Amino acid sequence: MKHIVYCLLSVVCCQLSICKAQVGAPYIHDPSTIAECEGKYYTFGTGGGGLISEDGWSWHSGAERPGGGAAPDVMKISERYLCVYGATGGGLGGGHNGRILTMWNKTLDPKSPDFKWSKAIEVASSDGMEDQDAIDPSLLLDPTTGRLWCSYGTYFGTIRLIELDPKTGERVKGNVEKDIAIDCEATDLLYRNGWYYLLGTHGTCCDGVNSTYNIVVGRAKNVEGPYFDNVGRDMFHGGGKMVIAAGDRKAGPGHFGRTIIDEGVEVMSCHFEADFDLSGRSTLGILPLLWKNDWPVAGERFKGGTFEIESERRGYSLELAVDFVRMEQERQRFWQIDPNEPVKVLPNQKLEDVVENWPKGEIPVRCSDYMFRPWQRWTITPVPEAGGYLGGPYFRIVIEGTERALTATANLEVTTTPSFTGTPEQLWRIEQLTDGTYRIMPKAIPGQEGLNTRFVLYSIADSTPTLAPYDFNIDNSKWNFRSH
Amino acid sequence: MTATVGQAQNPVIRDLFTADPTARVFNGKVYLYPSHDIMPPEGQRQDWFCMEDYHVFSSVNLTDWTDHGVIVSQEKVPWGKPDGYSMWAPDCVEKDGKYYFYFPNGPKSGRGFAIGVAVANSPEGPFTLEPEPIKGVMGIDPCVLLDDDGQQYIYWAGGPMRGARLKGNMKELDGPVTMMEGLPDGFKEGPFAFKRNGLYYLTFPWVRQEKGTETLAYATSNSPLGPWDFKGIIMAEHANRCWTNHHSLVEYKGQWYLFYHTNFFSPKDDKRRSVCIEKLFFNADGTIQEVKQTMRGVGINQATERIEIDRYSSANDVQTAYIDTTNTLRGACVTLLQKGSWVKYDGVDFSCITDGYLVINVMASENTQLCVRENSAKGKVIAKIPVTVKSEQGAFRRDMSGQWLTLTAPLDFTPKGITDLVVTCEGETVSVDWVRFKNRPKYFTEVGKSASSVQPDNQGFIRRWRLMEPIAVDVRSNIIFTNSWLREKFSEELARLPKQKGKWYTLDSENYNVKLFRFAEKYGKQTYGSFFWCETIIECPEDIENVRLACGSNGASMWWLNGEEVLLLEGDRRMVEDDGMSQRLTLKKGRNVLRAAVINGPGLSDMCVRFLDEKGLPVTSFTLVNK
Repeated sequence: MKHIVYCLLSVVCCQLSICKAQVGAPYIHDPSTIAECEGKYYTFGTGGGGLISEDGWSWHSGAERPGGGAAPDVMKISERYLCVYGATGGGLGGGHNGRILTMWNKTLDPKSPDFKWSKAIEVASSDGMEDQDAIDPSLLLDPTTGRLWCSYGTYFGTIRLIELDPKTGERVKGNVEKDIAIDCEATDLLYRNGWYYLLGTHGTCCDGVNSTYNIVVGRAKNVEGPYFDNVGRDMFHGGGKMVIAAGDRKAGPGHFGRTIIDEGVEVMSCHFEADFDLSGRSTLGILPLLWKNDWPVAGERFKGGTFEIESERRGYSLELAVDFVRMEQERQRFWQIDPNEPVKVLPNQKLEDVVENWPKGEIPVRCSDYMFRPWQRWTITPVPEAGGYLGGPYFRIVIEGTERALTATANLEVTTTPSFTGTPEQLWRIEQLTDGTYRIMPKAIPGQEGLNTRFVLYSIADSTPTLAPYDFNIDNSKWNFRSH
Repeated sequence: MTATVGQAQNPVIRDLFTADPTARVFNGKVYLYPSHDIMPPEGQRQDWFCMEDYHVFSSVNLTDWTDHGVIVSQEKVPWGKPDGYSMWAPDCVEKDGKYYFYFPNGPKSGRGFAIGVAVANSPEGPFTLEPEPIKGVMGIDPCVLLDDDGQQYIYWAGGPMRGARLKGNMKELDGPVTMMEGLPDGFKEGPFAFKRNGLYYLTFPWVRQEKGTETLAYATSNSPLGPWDFKGIIMAEHANRCWTNHHSLVEYKGQWYLFYHTNFFSPKDDKRRSVCIEKLFFNADGTIQEVKQTMRGVGINQATERIEIDRYSSANDVQTAYIDTTNTLRGACVTLLQKGSWVKYDGVDFSCITDGYLVINVMASENTQLCVRENSAKGKVIAKIPVTVKSEQGAFRRDMSGQWLTLTAPLDFTPKGITDLVVTCEGETVSVDWVRFKNRPKYFTEVGKSASSVQPDNQGFIRRWRLMEPIAVDVRSNIIFTNSWLREKFSEELARLPKQKGKWYTLDSENYNVKLFRFAEKYGKQTYGSFFWCETIIECPEDIENVRLACGSNGASMWWLNGEEVLLLEGDRRMVEDDGMSQRLTLKKGRNVLRAAVINGPGLSDMCVRFLDEKGLPVTSFTLVNK
C-alpha cells in the first residue's frame, strides 16, 4: 500500500513540476555557488549537507559537508575543491564569535573513494564583542591576478575581505582584514569585465513567506573596494542596487552565486526563503543572470507560452515555409473614410483558415516579416519527464494549436514534423543570455552521440534558419520570444 | 618577506622550526640567526637533520619577532651542494659597517663540511655569497669573536674544537689553526666565544655522560685561543632526551640572555627544533649561574598580545598537552583539572588597555567557570568567564563540549602597568589555549557642558547628539514596523517623553553613523528591543532654505524639526545613507531642534543623518551646540 502511495505522489510531483522552480527536493538555505564535479552539480547549504543534481534541473539531497555552521562556499581550484564555511556565530546560540574555516576535497561525490575532506583550518574569526560576525563566507579567485579573496560577515557589523593562499586555503601571511560593506550578509564576490562586484543579501531572513531578503550589488575597480552602487553610494554606507527581490511566487532571495555556462550564458543561484508552490519552504533558485550596463540583474525563469520567435539578426520571425495566405478585408480608401461610422474589430487569421493547405509531412522553416499569422505562432511548453539542464527543463516547440514540432535534423538543419513524439531532436534547451536575448538548442542531433551543447538555432541568412555552433558575439545565435 | 611571527613564550618562533640560535645586537635590535629545520623531503634521510636555508629574525623587546625571510639558501651557494640540506648552525658579526654571515654547508665535491661567508650592508641582507668557502677550515658551527683590540678569531667544531685568527677581510685565516686545550672529555661542538670584563669565554654543547645528551657548558681563559679553564654547566641536559642543544649568549639592554633550543614543537623527533630564550646571570667572579629551562621565557607581554597561557611561570594542579598531536606547531594547552587549579603567567603589561575586554580560548566538557586574576590565585578578579558548553535554552540548542571556543568577557577591573596574570578554575575541568585583551573601539566621546559647538562632518553627517538611555520595547522582529503601528507607538512615546526619567548623554560620534547599539550597551544595557530618543540643536547663521533631511536608520525612525514631523522611515529596514528624505525644509536663523525616535528589535541599531541641498550636496554651514 505504501508503495502505491509513493507512486501516486511522484506522479503528482511531476505534474506540479511544470510550474516549479526546480524539481526534486531542492530544499536548502544559503546555497554555495554551484560547483561541477564529474558531470554532476553540487551546492552546499547552512547546517551541513547539500544538494546534488545529475542534470542541473532535478535536485535532491545527498551532498556531504562536515562542520555544520552557516553559509558555505565551494570553488574548484586546480583539480581540488576548496570549501569555506562559518562555524558558530551568527547569533546562533547567542553569540557573534564566529570562525571562518577552509577545507579541501578531491571530489564532491560522497560515493567516490577519493571523497575525504581535509582537516578544517581557521582563516578568520570574530570575538563576539567587535562589530563583526565571522560567518557567511564566499570566495573569489581573481582571474586577473590569481589571488584568492574571501568576503564574510553579517548585519552584526561589517562585511570583511581577507586574502587566502589558493595553494593551501590558508590566510595569506600578514594579511589584514578590510571592512568593505555594512548592512548585509551572505555576500558574494565576482569579477567581470574590469569590475569587482560585491553582492550582499539585505532584509530579514528566516520568517517564511514574510522574509524580506533581497540581493543587492555594488561594484569597484579594486577588489578591496570601495564598492559603490549605481548612485555612487558606498556599500560601507549601506548602498546597493537591487539584483533580485521577491517575485514569481517566491519570496526572500538570498545568498547569490554566479555560474558561467558558456560565453554570454550565465545563471545565478540563490535560495528563496519561501516558495509559495512548495509549502513556503526554503528552496534553491537558479535564474538567468543578465548584465545591463555592467550591472548584474536576475532574468526571469522561462516558462513557455505562445510567442513569435524573433531573430536578433534582422528581427524576422521563425515560421513554417508555407504559402502566405491573404486575408479578406473590406477596404476603406482613406480619402473616403467617414469618421462617424463605427469601427469594426478585425479577427486574427485563424489556424483553420490556413492549415488545410499545409503539406501533411515535414514542413521546412524560414524567417520572414512577422504578421501574427498562424504559421508564425509557436507554443512552447516544458516537458518535465525529459529532464533538464542547469536552471531549466527541456521544451517542446510546436505551431500554436497543432502538434507540429520544431525538429533538428541530422544534416544540421531545422524543420518541422507533423507530431511531437518526445525524441531528443524535438526537445529544446532555452537559455536567456546575459544581454536578455535567448539561445535555443536541440537536446540532441540525430546521428550525434550524447547531448548537444554546441549547435543552436541560428540565422545563417535573414530568411534562413539552420543549426550552427553557438557564438555569443554574433546576433545570428540569438532569438527573442515576443508575445504580440 | 616580513612577518611578525613570535611571542615572548618559549619557543619564540612558532610557525617554523628553528635551531642553533646565534643572537647578536646590531643597531639597538636583537637579530636572531638560527638554522631552519624542515621535514626532510622525499629522498632525504627521514630521521636526520635537514636544513636548506636561513631566515633572520629581529626584535626590539624579545617578544615580538619579525621574520625578514630567507637570506641564504643552498641552491644559491656557488661552492655548495644544491641539495645537501646541511645548512647547520650559523653566525653573523658586524665589522666596519659590513655584516659577515658564516655558515657550514656541504661542498659540491668531497665529503664533510666547509664554512662559507656571505656579506651584506645590513643585518637583514641582502647577503652576497663569497665564491669559495674559507680555506683551511673543514667543519661546522662557525663562531667569530671580535676582540676589543681589533683582532678577530674564528672557532669551529666537527672533530676537536679549533680556533684561528681571521684576517681583516673576515674571509681568510690569518695564521695556524689552534686546538682548544683544557676542555673536558666527551663530545663537544657548537662553540660560542665572547669576551666579558677582560675574560674570554668559550661555551659549547657537551655530552658529559656516556650515552648522555648535550648540556651547555663553558670554560674561560685570559687568551682568546686558550688554553681554557673548564668551569662547568650553563644548562643541564633536556629532560625529554632531545639529543642536541645549541646556544648563544647576548647582552641586551643591561641583561644577559641565553638563546638555546628544544624540540617542543616536535616531541617525537629531536631533529626538528625550536629556539627558546632565558635570562642568564653572572656571578661576581665571572662564573655563570646555571640556567633552568622555562616555558614562560623572557620579555614582557603586552596585554593585547596573544598570551600562550600553557607557557606558564608556575601552576598548581594542571596538565599541559599538545592541542593537536598531528600538528604540534599548533602548540599546547593547559588543563586546569579542578576547582582551585591555577596557572600563573608573569609579566603582562596593561598600560595598553583603555577600554578593555578579555578574549580567551577554552575547551570544556561540562559547564564551568574561570577567573582571570591579578598576581595570585586569590588576587583581584580581572574577569569572570562563564563557560557554557551545554545550553538548555534557545532555538539553537547546541552541545559545544569538547570544542575549542573563543569567549569574551568584560573586565571587572583593569590592572595598571605590568602585572602577573593568574587563571583560576572555579568549577569543572577546563582547558585553556591562550588569553588576550582587546580594547573596545571608541564609538563616542562624551561632550562636556563647556564644550564648544561643532560643525557637521565634511559629508554633512551630524555627529553630535543628546541621547536618552534606551527604553525597553518588546519587539522581536522588525516586520512589525508598519506605518500604523509606528504612528501609534511614536505618539504614545512622545506623549510620555516629558515624564521620562531616563538619563540623557551628550555625545560626539566617532563615526558618520551614530551606533545606538553601542550607546545602549554602554549607557543603558537595553541593546535589543530598544527605543531611543535623540536630539540635536542646530544653530544657523541665517535661514537655510530648500534643504532636505536625509536619514538612514536601523530600524524604524521618526524625525521632527522644530516640533514638526518631517520624516518617517518605516518597515523592516537597515541603516542606509540617505535612505529616506523629508520634503523641502527651511532651517531657520538661530536655533533649530532636530528630534528623532529610533526603534529597533534585533540587530545593531544605528542611524546616519544629514541635510542635503537642492543639488544633493551636504549642508555644512551650521553648527551643533550644547543645550
